Amino acid sequence: MSAVADREAPTSARTASQHDAAEFLCRAPLLRIEHLGVRYGPQWALRGVDLDIWRGDVLAFIGPNGAGKSTLLKAILGLITPTEGSILRDDALLPTGYVPQKLDIDASFPLTVGEFMAVNHPGRSFWFGGVPRRWRSLIMETLERLRIADLEHRQLGTLSGGQFQRVLIAAALLQQPQLLLLDEPSASIDRRGSEELQLLLHELHAQLGLTIVFVSHDLHFVHHLAHRVGCLNQSFCGLGPPHEVLSEHFLAEAYGTSALAPGRVHFHPASTP
Amino acid sequence: MTLSELWSYDFMRYALISACLLGPACAMLGVFVTLRGMAFFSDALAHSAVTGVAIGFLIREKLGLQLDPMLTVLIFALLQAAIMAWLFHRSSLAPDTVIAFSFTGSVALGVVIIAMLGKYRLLDGILFGSIYANSPTDILRQAILVCIIGAVLLTQMRSYTLSTLNPELARARRLHTVWLNYLFALLIAATVVTALKMLGALLLSALIVIPPAAAKLVSGSFRGLLVISLLGGLIAPLLGVVASAQLNVPTGPSIVLMNVVFLLACALWRSRRRRLAAGAAPTSSPMPATAKS
Repeated sequence: MSAVADREAPTSARTASQHDAAEFLCRAPLLRIEHLGVRYGPQWALRGVDLDIWRGDVLAFIGPNGAGKSTLLKAILGLITPTEGSILRDDALLPTGYVPQKLDIDASFPLTVGEFMAVNHPGRSFWFGGVPRRWRSLIMETLERLRIADLEHRQLGTLSGGQFQRVLIAAALLQQPQLLLLDEPSASIDRRGSEELQLLLHELHAQLGLTIVFVSHDLHFVHHLAHRVGCLNQSFCGLGPPHEVLSEHFLAEAYGTSALAPGRVHFHPASTP
Repeated sequence: MTLSELWSYDFMRYALISACLLGPACAMLGVFVTLRGMAFFSDALAHSAVTGVAIGFLIREKLGLQLDPMLTVLIFALLQAAIMAWLFHRSSLAPDTVIAFSFTGSVALGVVIIAMLGKYRLLDGILFGSIYANSPTDILRQAILVCIIGAVLLTQMRSYTLSTLNPELARARRLHTVWLNYLFALLIAATVVTALKMLGALLLSALIVIPPAAAKLVSGSFRGLLVISLLGGLIAPLLGVVASAQLNVPTGPSIVLMNVVFLLACALWRSRRRRLAAGAAPTSSPMPATAKS
């Protein structure tokens, strides 16, 4: 609608038009993936992937090893250039936080949690170790949000898996993201830690309105956290609410029927609380 | 001989200034060299000086061009650093394999050229260095290098720390890790060439590797690592120069030995601190907080 027409329109019509525009914006996906394909040499890791990610979505990618889950996450992040297809963002500069699968750090790497946060701070400044005074309030506020302020002076190498995962999430939150991408967040932490992480991500989603996309092999974790689940094996063999996708049919299609034998894919929805 | 007497000699004054400039610069660069596991890389570049000097003399003898040997050393070291950095990113060869063949290949080429020219005496200066041969021009070059290293590290310290810790996370933060790596390789090449006169190719790695390795033993934070490396990089070369003058021993090895003493002192300090921590920890504690620090 042109500016003149907008000025001349009756108040009720203008309100309706603004409402439509607002509704359209709300309905527009945060990120649209169209016919995405990624090839490593002669091997396709992903092919024909179509997906809309909506604001406030909590989306999980599951699938066997080599199914393209992490590749899809890295393509969304912009670390991998698609061989074919496209990824359209609602906002070209969509603030995105990334929590990598695992940081293989040398336990003797003498970087404290506070310093790791300073390294990840989006501000520009000279830095010579430590936590600069002007960044301290944001860093401590973020650490407190994740209930790890007491770890500020601990070296990264001395943290447990769960503590380390929280530090990585805190560092990602420093980017003030709208979209938070996590690669295997519950890997290398015990069951209790995994449950605490679930609650924490629920809390962040509710408090900050984050859109969360994660990759996981832990189907219990997925079942409790995700609003939608994408079952991947090069392309989506299932995409929908957890109770639909985490069914024997889709899991068998992604992992193969032999993988569903007892002790292979650990998931029994009936037994979950 | 007192310190004021030492300072009254031009060659000694230049040696002490050179130690004050290059020691801390090498140590700062060495923090990332050691954390990235690139000690062998800097060693390879130091040894490429053999070929750089040899090519300089070859050009002088065959083409009659009076080139500063440091210029050919710098060009050859930069070329070798760029080729190695390119191969790290583009080839499927492991980094240590790339370093090994370029290291041995360049030294072999240098020795062949030196043999053809019949200038075996050159090897002695390249391999062991001579800090007393510093001229005001050398000091100026070293000061410029220190300014460049300082400027790059101060502005890019966070980028280098994150890309050392996890390159993928650094790329996700929109850091140009490939260019950072090229820049780092070029800085090492420039440092190696400039510091060659001080220690020589054989001993130069000590100046880069030992202070941060020692600091890593005792520091509990990144700031601690930087400060202790800087102090070690300043004190050990200074003491090395003074000790070599007092005891009349070669300067290069004397500086390396002072660095080793610094490393041993740090190792002893760490072991003492661990013993004290173990003694202070209650026996019922399953895992003392300082156990891994």
